[in-house]
Amino acid sequence: METKEFTIKWGMAIDLDKCTGCGACMVACQAENNLAPIADASNKIKVMNWITVYELSNGKPYPEHDVAYLPRPCQQCGHPPCVSVCPVIATDKNEEGGIVSQVTPRCIGCRYCMAACPYHARYFNWRDPVWPGGLEKALTPDVSVRPRGVVEKCTFCHHRWMAAKDKAIVEGRDPMDLAEGEYVTSCTEACPNGAITFGDLNNEDHEVAKLASSKYAHRLLERLGADTQVYYVSRREWVLRQLDNYLEDEKVKG
Amino acid sequence: MAVDRRGFLKFVAGATTGVLATPVPWKLLDDVSIWTQNWPWIPRNVDGENSYVSTISKLCPSAAGMKVRLVGPRPVRVLPDDNHPLSMGGITALAAAEVQLMYSPSRVKRPLKHAGDGAFVAISWEEAEKMLKENLRRAGSKVAYVSGDETGTINELLSGMAKESGSEDFYVMPSEVQPAARAFASMNGNGQLGYDIENSDYVFAIGANILESWGTVLRNRAAYKNSHPAAEKPTVKFVYAGPVQNNTAAGSDEWLPAKSGTEAIVAMGIANLLIKAGATIDAPDFAEFKALAAQFTPQKVAALAGVTPAKLKAITAELSKAKRPVVLTGSEFGQGTGVATVLAGTAVNMLLGGFGREGGVTAIPLAPKVIASGMDRAEIADKDLVAYLSRISAGKVATPRAMVFYEANPVYGLPQPAAMAKVMDKVPFKVAFTSFLDETAEACDLILPTPLGLERFDDVESPYGINQAFYGLARPVAPCVIDGKPAADVLLGVAGQLNMDLGFETFEEVLQAKAEAAGADWDSLMEGEFFTSDAVAEQSDLRIAADVIGKALAAAPKPAKLSIAPVQKLNIGTPNTAIPPYNNKTIRRWELQKNEMYVAMNGATARELGVVKHQRIKLSNSSGSIQARVNIFEGVMPNTIAVLMGFGHTAFDEFSKGKGENVMELLTVGYEAGTGQSVWNVAGVNVSKA
Ligand code: SF4
Repeated sequence: METKEFTIKWGMAIDLDKCTGCGACMVACQAENNLAPIADASNKIKVMNWITVYELSNGKPYPEHDVAYLPRPCQQCGHPPCVSVCPVIATDKNEEGGIVSQVTPRCIGCRYCMAACPYHARYFNWRDPVWPGGLEKALTPDVSVRPRGVVEKCTFCHHRWMAAKDKAIVEGRDPMDLAEGEYVTSCTEACPNGAITFGDLNNEDHEVAKLASSKYAHRLLERLGADTQVYYVSRREWVLRQLDNYLEDEKVKG
Repeated sequence: MAVDRRGFLKFVAGATTGVLATPVPWKLLDDVSIWTQNWPWIPRNVDGENSYVSTISKLCPSAAGMKVRLVGPRPVRVLPDDNHPLSMGGITALAAAEVQLMYSPSRVKRPLKHAGDGAFVAISWEEAEKMLKENLRRAGSKVAYVSGDETGTINELLSGMAKESGSEDFYVMPSEVQPAARAFASMNGNGQLGYDIENSDYVFAIGANILESWGTVLRNRAAYKNSHPAAEKPTVKFVYAGPVQNNTAAGSDEWLPAKSGTEAIVAMGIANLLIKAGATIDAPDFAEFKALAAQFTPQKVAALAGVTPAKLKAITAELSKAKRPVVLTGSEFGQGTGVATVLAGTAVNMLLGGFGREGGVTAIPLAPKVIASGMDRAEIADKDLVAYLSRISAGKVATPRAMVFYEANPVYGLPQPAAMAKVMDKVPFKVAFTSFLDETAEACDLILPTPLGLERFDDVESPYGINQAFYGLARPVAPCVIDGKPAADVLLGVAGQLNMDLGFETFEEVLQAKAEAAGADWDSLMEGEFFTSDAVAEQSDLRIAADVIGKALAAAPKPAKLSIAPVQKLNIGTPNTAIPPYNNKTIRRWELQKNEMYVAMNGATARELGVVKHQRIKLSNSSGSIQARVNIFEGVMPNTIAVLMGFGHTAFDEFSKGKGENVMELLTVGYEAGTGQSVWNVAGVNVSKA
């Protein structure tokens, strides 16, 4: 399948050597995108997270053990497996910027997209969201609240892009020519370690584009060919090796 | 008209094509999916104008600088603040949840008093203040105040009230602050130790969990961010020594496994090697220190701390080679360490020429106190809450008649909490100023709801760890969502009625005076600016306090055969916040399952204990016991069990209550020889199958 090309391609480079697994990005994401809290969050299959931080291990015993943390937002595939299976075009890859959309009011909850997504980036609302104790008063106006029965996922804080474009238009600037950093996702902004770099992969001046072409940059399950817009950077071979299925004697670039 | 089979099939085909061609079913499907999402109980977006207020967190122990986003009058997000020295463009997992905590189901909504039958009944503020005043009057000098705030001027107010009523019993909840302040005082130091991580070229953290919870974390992490450019070789090496490959170890360029509570021993081992290589300190007790350090041979350090001699030598060589190395010592769980830990670390910094050097250790001046009868930070650091409660328990000091808890949760957060709670049980009148219905509040006779830091005026003066004097205000970004009153206002009112002379009528006046004493400009503080100063505290006759280190280490408890390593993570909250609603999703799968917590050990330890992953075990020692399941994590030292802090709340709400058990139950209090400082960083434990 051809990858649809866009002038701007929003992307991320996450340095797995810099992430310490603190979870600030996960909390910031939930507050920004109006995810509902849940009393028992230990059943990870039923818990909604647009970004989740996984723990990686080099598999070696003490004292050779090494650990890494992998934050996983939606990978915003170039040819997204979820889009082709959606019967109602509730999810699409059609808009400038290359963000895979998720139109929840259109979703009929069939969950084909969840089965198709290789990254487990999609979540189904098994229950209606509940905001105890008046917590709904802290909802942002940017992202509508989703009811039971629909699928949702990370949108790269798409509303922030809209806001940045609006601001540029009001200021008489070209909304398609935003300065680097004018639009970043909530997780990028929150991370105290600067582990996440966000920007336009098509703009050579953007840090993210430089990082994406680094020899240490790999994508998750790259050989599936989904052509994702999220890059993972690590100078550790064992970390890179876990991003895809390698044969034992196969070399990993980087 | 008769319809034959062919005709019928044609009709079906036509009908099907028709149905597919008309938009009606698709429109219906679309409508159905939209209409079935339009339930009245699903909240709608409420729009409004965006505004941003710069302030500082009073909930996060890191005193995170932050920008609060408001939509119309409603605060909705806590965002990082690029220009704030205590945020530097980052936010902690705890501070990020602060707006949402305003609406926590655990918030105390109005004053409550304990009725005879154990239930709480709502009372008016008038009645509450009367009750407080009468009980304080009745208690006279037999009153104790406990604060959970490390950086606020409210401590001067609380200690001033104690002193005005003739009591010396004012305490702050234990943290890294007390041992550090006492250490520097025993060196004849003046001011507070600060660490210039951002200008250092080699950062060695012994115990101190600098990338997760130690000191001004966001500042530490910004230094880490800047020295670790993505996809490039780090420009500064970070090394972490501790028993568990925790978040700091995960980010560090090297993890040096070292047993819990052996930080001072590791530092002395390094000091010994540095001295052997010719390093000296210009201090009167250097000879004594040299002799003491000589005892800590690499072999001895290996035996006591589990650090291999080769590693110790390699780190020492790297430290000597670095131009601006800095060593940070502390407890890997932010409390319970001794004075010697900080002294030994400071001695290493001095041997490395790092005292007063850029990228090393500095002494920052602290603002003088403004409430004459109150205690200053040095005096406060000398007050040891755990020791005080233990003395009451042993009958060595009288039980107070009244105890005032200010945003402190000792019933959950102290070591051996059950024993501590028993002591508090004996106190006839207890009052909690708190935002949340925590364990301590539940044990109190009177609960007075305080506005959160986002809803009140408060201040932060130079949190421990920062390398420059700092003063900033927390400002109310929105009206208080509950019927709360700032504790300071209530206390000043009561103090006035009890004829105490604190010198101020309102807390705002106190803060204004403090700002002036710190050298800050009130008007700009009120606009969200903050004050910093590069002034350093003058020192004279600085010593190493070798005698203090010597005494403490001579009697240091031997590491147990099987020991506990508590692990602190800010995302799981503090004793004051418990687990914020959004944060329980950040708890890992094999940290908690339903209400059962997991503890981690490496495979060899598990084999030795005869346990496997997911197995239920009981951890017990003379202090108490907890139950947990086993997780195998190879980033734990042998014969060590890593236990997360922050679980096992018996109060708060469905996001925290009853989840796992409280590791503090297993931490046994001891006293550091020489200084008498209460310590609980070494705890042995037995494991049995549950
Ligand atoms: S905020 Fe940054 S360091 Fe923390 S878990 Fe997320 S990516 Fe990792």
